[in-house]
This record gives sequence, C-alpha cells and structure tokens, in this order.
Amino acid sequence: MDLKEKEFIGNLKSAGNREKAFKVLVETYQEKLYWHIRKIVMNHDDADDILQNVYLKVWKNVDGFREDSSLYTWLFRIATNESLSHLQRQRKHAVIPLNEISDYLTGSLESDIYFDGDEIQRKLQMAIVKLPEKQRLVFNMKYFDEMKYEEMSEILQTSTGALKASYHFAVKKIEEFLKQDHK
Amino acid sequence: MKEKEEDIENRFGNLNKNLPFRIPESYFDTFSDRLMSRIKEIEHPSRKRTLYFYLKPALSLAASIILVILLVFVPIKKFFPTGKGYLARQKNQVDPVDSLSELSATLISCFSEGQFMTAVSEMDEFEPKTLSSDNLADYIAANYNDYDIISNN
Repeated sequence: MDLKEKEFIGNLKSAGNREKAFKVLVETYQEKLYWHIRKIVMNHDDADDILQNVYLKVWKNVDGFREDSSLYTWLFRIATNESLSHLQRQRKHAVIPLNEISDYLTGSLESDIYFDGDEIQRKLQMAIVKLPEKQRLVFNMKYFDEMKYEEMSEILQTSTGALKASYHFAVKKIEEFLKQDHK
Repeated sequence: MKEKEEDIENRFGNLNKNLPFRIPESYFDTFSDRLMSRIKEIEHPSRKRTLYFYLKPALSLAASIILVILLVFVPIKKFFPTGKGYLARQKNQVDPVDSLSELSATLISCFSEGQFMTAVSEMDEFEPKTLSSDNLADYIAANYNDYDIISNN
C-alpha cells in the first residue's frame, strides 16, 4: 500500500473528511465494481442493489479496515461475497425451487431487458452461467477483466495454482458447451 | 499452461470481449448522489409528525377500554345476570291473569312446594273441608254401583 492510499484511508476514517473521501471512493471504483457484480448476478437491478449494499458496508465498517490489503482488494472482496450471498438467497427463496444457481441465472439472463448482445454473445453467457461458481468467477475476471492471477488470488483468497486450474477447466467446459450448441 | 492460455485467447478471439449488457442512461452519473441520500436516510431517518402521531396514545387507550368492556363485562352480564330488578323483570314476563282460578294457577307455577303449602294454609278460601262418613257414603252411592264396589275389593 502506497503513501497516497494510506493518507486516503486516513481521511476515510476521520469524521471531518469522511464524506468527501467516501464520495471519491465511490466515483473511483463504482464502474469496476458494478461490472464485476453484474457479471456474477447478470441482472441490472440486482447489481444496482448489491453495489449500494457494498458501499453501505464500506461506510459502516471502514473504521475496522485493517489495511492488510489494498482498498481495491477489500472492495472487490466485499462485492464478490455480497454477490454470491445474493445468489444463495435467490435460490432459497425462489417461488419454483431451484436445484442450481445456474437455473436462476439462466432465467435472469433470458428476462434481462438490458441484455444487448448478439446470438454468439448470448450463447457464451449461457455457457458461463452453467459453470461452477469458482470457475465462473475466475473466467469472468481473467477473460473479461484481464486481471492477473496474483490480483485474483488476493480477492478470492485462493492460490494462483488453483486459479489457473479453474480457468483451464472453465475454458474447456465453455468450448464443449458451444460445440454441443452448434450440433 | 501459458501456451494453452494463448490458445484460449485465439479460440475466443473472434468473440466480442465487450460485455453484452447495457445500463440505464446516466446510471453512474447519479449513483453517488442516490447512495449518499440513502446513507443519510439510514443515519438520520426523517419523521414527519402527523395528527395521528399526537392522537395515537388517546386512540390506543380508547381501543383498550372498549376491548375490555367487550371481553369482560358483556359476557358477565349475559351469562351471570345479577342485581336488583332481575326477579321483578322475570315476574313482569308472566302474562296478566283474567280470573281467580288463573291467578291461583299462576301463583302455583311461581312458588316452590313449601311456599305453596304455606300460602294455601294462610288463604281462607282454600281451607280444607273435613270429610264426614255421611259425605263419603253419599259420594260413593252417587258415583259407584254395587258391581264396582265388589270388584275393587
């Protein structure tokens, strides 16, 4: 963590400067966080709710931030956990029982009015949705966000080796899904 | 593994890496303001004091009293009637009589056995007449023939 970030965190924790510093924090990371969440939950309305909840959590708990990671990593970790918790809640409270979270996400994708892609992109998203949770996260962060494994390792608290394996398996599954779809 | 990753990029290379999702117009422009409003609302919830706020205690008290009356006093009055005037109201429910015989019948229906015997003994017109042997013989001769007397023995 560099000096500038330490000073910024200091402002976040001080009562007088907190609001101003918090607004800067929101504006700096809102887009990156939003798209990270959106890729997990698919739906805009859910992503909006979760993004607000992430920042609310940061507002309430910034005094307890231990500064053992960067602010960015901390924010992304909260966003990831909030998104996954949201999906678990949706699965439990679904009107029609869902066996897999992918069932909920498939429905979400099909009904999303903000989906703007072509047929190939829709198929890719459908394939991604079918992946197990960890593989889906890793694939999105590596393929779309072009994140380094070391960065991902800090956020997901998983070793780089495990992340590389997850990415490899994710790609294979997506390929198989797309091939089956073509037949 | 590195080589395979390059293959991956090639295989998916023809796919648009831009996410196929869009957002509402000006979403990010207004996000910060909406978030800060929500934080302020959570930390300092605004309470508008309406007339209902001031009347609430009185209305609650009135509702409680009405409830107690309905749950306690009404059933007690209905199932356990007591107090002055009850017997009078019951007696008032008896229909008015036209003749002396009807009066005595009415009295008999209201009194217990003990009360009736006492009343009868105090009333002159109901003094029992003593039965003499001549009266009895006259009665039997008038109402029974010889065959009835013999067969009953």
